[in-house]
Amino acid sequence: MLIQNPLNASELAFPVLECLHIIGFTISVGTIAIVDFRLLGLGMRHQKAADLNRDLWLRTLAGLVIVVFTGLLLYSSDPDTYYLNVAFLFKIVCLLAAIIFHYTIRRKVVSSDASNAYGKIVACLSMALWASVIFGGIFIGFVNAGL
Amino acid sequence: MILSLCQWAQSTAFFTAIRGSWNVYPVIMATHLLGIAWFGGMILITDMRLLGLAMRNRSISDVVDQLRIPKRVGLLIVVTCGVLMLGSKAEEYYYNIFFRIKLGLLLCVFLHGMIFRGAVYMNAAALDRAARIPSRAKLAAFFSLLLWTGIACAGRGIGYVEPPLERIHAGLTHAGAHNR
Repeated sequence: MLIQNPLNASELAFPVLECLHIIGFTISVGTIAIVDFRLLGLGMRHQKAADLNRDLWLRTLAGLVIVVFTGLLLYSSDPDTYYLNVAFLFKIVCLLAAIIFHYTIRRKVVSSDASNAYGKIVACLSMALWASVIFGGIFIGFVNAGL
Repeated sequence: MILSLCQWAQSTAFFTAIRGSWNVYPVIMATHLLGIAWFGGMILITDMRLLGLAMRNRSISDVVDQLRIPKRVGLLIVVTCGVLMLGSKAEEYYYNIFFRIKLGLLLCVFLHGMIFRGAVYMNAAALDRAARIPSRAKLAAFFSLLLWTGIACAGRGIGYVEPPLERIHAGLTHAGAHNR
C-alpha cells in the first residue's frame, strides 16, 4: 500500500518549508559567521571569540535543528530525485563535514580563543564549508538529475 | 517606460551573458543567499538585542555599534547580487508579483530605517542608560524582523512564478496590429 506524502498534497507546503529552511540557515550560519569573523579579527572586536560563542551557541543549535528538520521534510517530498542529484549529495557531504568540524576542531579553537594563524585558518575553513552547503543547495535546482 | 528600460537592460551584452551562462546565475544566487545568511544573522542579533532576547550581558551600544559596518558590507553583497540577477532577467521580474511585493517591502524597510535611525539605531548609548529598553526600540526591532523575513520569503516566491512572456509579447503585438 503506497502512502502519499502529505507534503505533496498541498501547493503551499513546499514553499513554506523552504522559507523556514532559509530562516533556519540564516540563524545558524549567521551566528556561526559572527564568531568566525571575530576569529579573523573582524566585526565584534570588543568581545573575545569565546564570549561571543557562549552567547550565540544555543541559537546556532536552534537554527541547525530547524534547518535539518525542514531539510528532511523537503527531502521526503521527492527522495529519489534528490538522492540522484549530484549537487544535493555534495551539499549533504559538506553539511556533515561542517557540523562535525563545527563541534570538534572549531569548538576547541573558539574556546581557547586562538587569534593566531591557526585560528584564522579554522575560521576560513568553517565559512568555506558552510558556504559550500549553501552553494550546493542552490545548484540542486540547476543540475540535471543523474549521477 | 519602466518596461522598456527592463527590456533594454536585459538585452545588454553583460546581462545577456549572465543569463546565458549555466553556472554564473546560480553562483550569483548562492552568493546572494550566503550574504543573506551573514547579513540576516547580524540583523537578527541586533534586533534580538534590542528586544532584550539575545546577548543581554553585552550593552546595546556594544552590539549595535559593532555590527553596523559589517551589516553594511553584508547589505552591499546582497544588493549587488540582487541587481545582477534583476538585470539579467529584468522583463521577467517586471511581471513577477513576488518581486513587486519584495520591492514594496524593501521600500518599507528603507522608510523604517529613516524613522528609527535617530531614536534607536544611532542612539544606542541612550537606550543603555534607560532603566528598561524603551518601547520604541522594541517596536523598531519587531518591525525590522518582520519586514526582513517578509523580504526573504517574497524573494523565495519569485522563483515560483514564471510570467508567460511569449503570451504577453504576442498579446502586445496583437493589440498593436489592431490599433493600426
